[in-house]
Amino acid sequence: MSGERLRLGFIALNDAAALIVADALGYFGQEGLAVDLVREVSWATMRDKLAVGALDGAHLLAPLALAASLGAPDGRPIPLVAPLALNINGPAITLSSHLAAAVGEGPHADGLARLIARRREEGASPLTLAVVFPLSVHAYLLRDWLARAGVDPDNDVRLTVAPPSRMTELLVGGVVEGFCVTEPWDTAAVVAGAGMIAARGSELWPRTPDKVFAVTEAWAEADPPRLRAVLRALLRAAAWADAQENRAELAAILARPHYVGADAAVIEASLGDIVFDADGASAPQPVHAAWLLSQMMRWRHIPADVDIGRVAGQVYRPDLHAAAAVDLGRPAIVPLDGLVGFSPLGPFRLAEAQAHAVHGALSRLRPA
Amino acid sequence: MRVLVVDPDPARAALVAEGLAGVEPLEVRHVRVFDQREAAKFEPDVIVVASNSPDRDTIESLREATVANPRPVVMFVDRSEAGLAEEAVHAGVSAYVVDGFSKARVRSVLEVAMSRFQLMNQLRLDLDKAKADLASRKTVERAKALLMKERGLEEDAAYRLLRKLSMDTGRPLGAVAADLLAFAGVLKGRSDG
Repeated sequence: MSGERLRLGFIALNDAAALIVADALGYFGQEGLAVDLVREVSWATMRDKLAVGALDGAHLLAPLALAASLGAPDGRPIPLVAPLALNINGPAITLSSHLAAAVGEGPHADGLARLIARRREEGASPLTLAVVFPLSVHAYLLRDWLARAGVDPDNDVRLTVAPPSRMTELLVGGVVEGFCVTEPWDTAAVVAGAGMIAARGSELWPRTPDKVFAVTEAWAEADPPRLRAVLRALLRAAAWADAQENRAELAAILARPHYVGADAAVIEASLGDIVFDADGASAPQPVHAAWLLSQMMRWRHIPADVDIGRVAGQVYRPDLHAAAAVDLGRPAIVPLDGLVGFSPLGPFRLAEAQAHAVHGALSRLRPA
Repeated sequence: MRVLVVDPDPARAALVAEGLAGVEPLEVRHVRVFDQREAAKFEPDVIVVASNSPDRDTIESLREATVANPRPVVMFVDRSEAGLAEEAVHAGVSAYVVDGFSKARVRSVLEVAMSRFQLMNQLRLDLDKAKADLASRKTVERAKALLMKERGLEEDAAYRLLRKLSMDTGRPLGAVAADLLAFAGVLKGRSDG
């Protein structure tokens, strides 16, 4: 397997900041860890490398970590744990400039829904919208955004998958008419004059959960002290990345070609609402996992008999986060029991997640 | 045979073409970057993708999309990461080739991938059909129970009534049963059927 050195994978996105900063500023070394930070280009390959031990830990889409643990959609289960959340906020929905001009002000999709209905009457081809992976916060944000306006994401539009760094190029080429991806790739499209941001994730789901740091359950159980040291390094890096006075330097670090490799000014402009650590942002919240599982159930990406509460608690491990935080003299974050503002129907509670999801699965277009 | 090779490195596409020499008709197309519309037009019999291609996520999602015509996928994996190849197969890749293989094996690998894919696809279709049949049978049972209760019919008579409705309208029994249940829901003032 990996021997003494740890191999941690990341994808070129702002939300890999904790991993990148810990590497660039030597926080891993200060914890006595020898880490190889490996840039990956595909989420599927990241998942497979974690499963076979070619990576010890990874920057991962939260729904992918949950789905892999369940073996969904049809693979075998790869039990993962998420002891740390890498970011809150960061995803955005971007539409091509001409589409954005035609549909008017957001952040709701009502104008887009009217345009889609008109196109259908005229017999035009459906709009094509891209996400980074079918099992991603981005896919579920986009689906919820469309569904709230009465658009059926499985039938009224064409959803496709594309690599984050190629979104602007696809928008310019007219291959896709909009996308949902994490920064800096939304701001990059705006700066290139190709698109406009129609809605921020945080406008739909306040303090949107996004990426997690994930390891296999087997590795977490085999070497708890090393995992705890990794978490301490990541917590220090996340806190450093949050500090306003460090943001210019953070942008410069992320911009390096072997990290995110985008323009530093674009990255700095795109760090507006992302939070890495402040106000408990880095704690993995089981209620976030439950919300995402309920969305996965709503769109039939997981079976309706999955025990949401059990899976959320198995994968999301605030206890591991708390232990590392206490090592650093920081308070342990108390897990939330509910989310306010995510569902138009009212607060979403961990205890009622199953009922909520089953209801949502029966009525896909009703607000979940 | 039409083969689409998605790989940042052009060398392996050439290897595939060499290995398939003699197969008629043959068209091997190499692209560095996957374009869905281009691929749809090309209609490949098999897609070969490098494990280090950013397009792997797109190709994996195509396999899951029910609207798109699924294709067998063969994956190139570096020799140093042989375990990864097995994992990819668990994730739905039809076959894999480890770097440095001889071009003599190209043809057999692609052919195995295509036949394995067809087998898996058939199994999946059978499973979907079995699930649909089961759901339909349950619906018919519920509709029968409703008729027995509301019309005071014997089980036999309720079933004959459903059969007659099905034949009169030329629609499957399951669909007629589902309609009956939905209408009963509306009449009782329930919106969820």
